[in-house]
Amino acid sequence: MNDKATANFVTAFETVGNELPGAGSWLARRRADAIEAFAEAGLPHRRLEDWKYTDLRQALDKAAFAPAPRHEAAVILPETPAATAFAGIDAHRLVFVNGRFHEGLSDTARLPKGVELHRLADVLSEQWAKALIERRMDEARQAENIVELNTALMADGMALRIRKGVRLDKPLHLVFVAADAGASHTRNLMLLEEGAEASILESHLGGKAALADIVTDIELGADATLRHAKLQDETADSVHLSTLRATLAGKSRLESFTLTLGCGLSRAQNFIRFAGEGAHASVDGAYALRAKQHFDTFSVVDHAVPGCTSHTMFKGVLDGEAEGVFQGKVIVRPDAQKTDGRQMTQALLLSRDASMNAKPELEIYADDVQCAHGSTVGELSKDAIFYLRSRGIPEAEARRLLVLAFLDEAIELAPHEASRGIFRDLVSGWFGEVAA
Amino acid sequence: MTSRERMKVMLEIRNLHAKVDGKEILNGIDLDIRAGEVHAIMGPNGSGKSTLSYVLAGREGYEVTEGTIRFKGRDLMEMDVDERAAAGVFLAFQYPLEIPGVTTMTFLKTALNAQRKARGEEELDAVRFLKLVREKAKPLNVTDDMLKRALNVGYSGGEKKRAEVLQMSLLEPALCVLDETDSGLDIDALKTVAEGVNALRSPERAMIVITHYQRLLDYIVPDVVHVLSKGRIVKTGGKELALELEKSGYAGYGADAA
Repeated sequence: MNDKATANFVTAFETVGNELPGAGSWLARRRADAIEAFAEAGLPHRRLEDWKYTDLRQALDKAAFAPAPRHEAAVILPETPAATAFAGIDAHRLVFVNGRFHEGLSDTARLPKGVELHRLADVLSEQWAKALIERRMDEARQAENIVELNTALMADGMALRIRKGVRLDKPLHLVFVAADAGASHTRNLMLLEEGAEASILESHLGGKAALADIVTDIELGADATLRHAKLQDETADSVHLSTLRATLAGKSRLESFTLTLGCGLSRAQNFIRFAGEGAHASVDGAYALRAKQHFDTFSVVDHAVPGCTSHTMFKGVLDGEAEGVFQGKVIVRPDAQKTDGRQMTQALLLSRDASMNAKPELEIYADDVQCAHGSTVGELSKDAIFYLRSRGIPEAEARRLLVLAFLDEAIELAPHEASRGIFRDLVSGWFGEVAA
Repeated sequence: MTSRERMKVMLEIRNLHAKVDGKEILNGIDLDIRAGEVHAIMGPNGSGKSTLSYVLAGREGYEVTEGTIRFKGRDLMEMDVDERAAAGVFLAFQYPLEIPGVTTMTFLKTALNAQRKARGEEELDAVRFLKLVREKAKPLNVTDDMLKRALNVGYSGGEKKRAEVLQMSLLEPALCVLDETDSGLDIDALKTVAEGVNALRSPERAMIVITHYQRLLDYIVPDVVHVLSKGRIVKTGGKELALELEKSGYAGYGADAA
């Protein structure tokens, strides 16, 4: 440990560690090991290959987040379009304020039979929860190591278990809001048993300068389907660190989509592992960044078994001095014949000072596979703008149309039909603010 | 004074010089076009035909170094590209651009309402717009399927040109500039496009038909034909001038303009 921010987290662990869920259980020992491992490696920095474009250590050194306090006053959601975006969707709702469950704002009274929804602390003695928390993918160690920090300090979170063959009747909407400044560490667990089906919406909203550290551990049983749409829009002085880890049994299906309007620094990690044949995973997203925002998508899709399909597409627009990063890896193991793996990253730079770094990778050890990856970085076509303007469309409107058209290819992939229109409106509104 | 001279000039070009990439392409063009007239501009490749059309539309990189262009009494050079469109200038492109992700329908509605807004007119709602588009699309054989597809993406050459004429028909410009509308069209497609253009001829509207070949002018019959060579109009005549050019070619004109 040789940096201030790493030391801060270790101090936080020493101070609040005893009050965290699982004291006296297996988790207490696990937490102690985790903080030790985290302290030894320290916060990641750019000399590590998996963090080449994102200096988390420097960002957290500068921001020096203390643990977020328990929020006492009434919660006021930020007045942003993102804050109300999903409000019109009929959903079960779970609200976390400063990383802690807020009962008053949540509504989970009418869950169907076979859907078990708990707080993290209430499932720690259950084997499935323990297995998910202790699981490691290990295909990108430097990236996954940051999960140790979450394991050591996770204070709350949602644990969802859907029993065999049960379908969640309407989406479950998770809202995470930073009402006070400080760091929160949240762990969400989702187990969908054989044939179960669910839709999850996530809103990550900022009000104050905060570090949101969220790990979501997913396990899909055979034939299970999880649709997941996430929206992130936090303040410019915030850091968002999220990791999604999913294991997919045979013929299961994960459809995940993220719209990132970002914060100061965002890093979204996805680790997908196929454990049974005939499964499908899509991990797609769109992003729109401006000013000095930084957004890093890091994704690993591990085709460990034959006959699975995966799709990763991220499309983004960058204005101002914004920086985008895409690092994606598709691994096809020697036995994983008949794999179909697709990966694409495309970015549009709206200003001369915006930048994009893309590193798509394929690691293929099987011979009978279909894999493709691609990466493009470009700017709006002057000819296209001229063509639209020559029909009377003002320049700002022409640019907005072209930006929306560019992002739409990705937004089309969002798994909830209702969310697509919402995402389009958000991007359109975002562009209006940029042009103004 | 003939009746033609008494009519008001819609487009008045005086001593127009223009550069592209630092190279002088237009070398002093004078042209008067009145409402109701169709002018053909013919000339060999590189004579400045397309440059003239882009200068009129206001394309970036086409620099006017000398001269004036007045459109309906206003200084055209002072107007932005979209302002010119709202004022009634329409350029039918030789190569219409493909715009992935923007459906033809969305594009048409955005363009029409932007122009109406710029002119202080009420914008059309979805129902009224749809009715109008269908009415305009039918004679041009533009199907609902085409309207739902991304603008010009995957359209054949004929479909692209028909879509251009549909835009023209919907936007009802005062001045239509058709840049090599015949290029890439077989005879049947050419006939459909020409019929669409002819249907738009009216006493209030002027047209400039730019073409290399006389063939198009069999279908869109001009009132006046100009020959452009090395950036200047070197000859002006009636529609018979086009037939003459068809026989003799442009060989005689290159030398005249030097």
